[in-house]
Amino acid sequence: MTSPSKILKIVLFLLRVGIGGVFVYAAWIKLREPWMLFAISIDAYHLLPEWAVTVVARTLPWVELAAGLLLIAGRWKRVSTVSVSALLALFFAMMVRAYARGEAIDCGCFGPGEAISPWTLLRDGSLLGGSLLLTVIAFRRPRKPEPLTAENLAESSYRPA
Amino acid sequence: MRLSAILLLLLAFTLAAPSRVDTAKTFGNPAAPITLELFSDYQCPACRAFHMQILPPLMREFVFPGRAYLVYKEFPLNQHSHAKEAATYAVAAARVGKYEQVGDALFQNQNTWEASGKIFDSIASALTPAEQKKVQALVKDPSVISEVDQDVQEGMLERVNETPTMIIIRGQKKYPIAGPPNYTFLRSLLNDLAK
Repeated sequence: MTSPSKILKIVLFLLRVGIGGVFVYAAWIKLREPWMLFAISIDAYHLLPEWAVTVVARTLPWVELAAGLLLIAGRWKRVSTVSVSALLALFFAMMVRAYARGEAIDCGCFGPGEAISPWTLLRDGSLLGGSLLLTVIAFRRPRKPEPLTAENLAESSYRPA
Repeated sequence: MRLSAILLLLLAFTLAAPSRVDTAKTFGNPAAPITLELFSDYQCPACRAFHMQILPPLMREFVFPGRAYLVYKEFPLNQHSHAKEAATYAVAAARVGKYEQVGDALFQNQNTWEASGKIFDSIASALTPAEQKKVQALVKDPSVISEVDQDVQEGMLERVNETPTMIIIRGQKKYPIAGPPNYTFLRSLLNDLAK
């Protein structure tokens, strides 16, 4: 018999690895192509000046890669879930804005060639929902205590002056 | 000896020939390192913006110097009531060697013929009286209409779903760009790919 908490653990694990995998894949797609392609996609949103578009196009795929790998590895859960949620919230807001304004542009999510559509909004919205759930859980769970080592013990023991 | 002379003459002719291929709907050097397939709709405002703002520097810096080979493809969207007819006129004009001129006229007068539906009136000035007659006959030619349909089919195979879409082809790799791109980034990309 599987307990509900075990099921929840499995679901959260799959969610973490799934969203992390999506981030790693998105980063890999962008990093294997010339950065200017991603810059063209970002520029289509008309939100940033050219210099900022250049900075974002050159750095964002590396941020996505790092956040995705951390999420998959399950390390620094609070940092990784907050980063991923913040990025997804930003992407989602930009896409909703462009779609609401009727701008027929590429979403730029996984390289060029994918126009913003109800499907891309649903996909990114679902990812955002999943990452927000992971973030809430990461903050609700207490941090793991430091492992008991001789060094830690020595540092925490009472030393008379 | 005579064969060598003929070969040399041929080589000299090839080298001296202008890089711009003046046939139908292609421009530039077919042997260029990159090919640009441009799927466009004459009734689409974004295509007009691409034609007016992006195309002139693109032609000047990449197509005419032989660094890129430009191939025009018709992609009239269903929501534009006169787009297919306009594309048919453009293809018909290509048959009399006036594709570029008629394309320019279609984009320049887009608002006029979009409102009136009288496409021919907007392109007539780009053609001689003899060409006008030929073009008016050609727009009813099934092979011209079929050429437009073939371009649309090609676009659908390439998963084109908006216009303008430019597919940059470098060897086996294809980079689709939808919408009028920022020319600074496009130039940088093409410079990188055309190396």
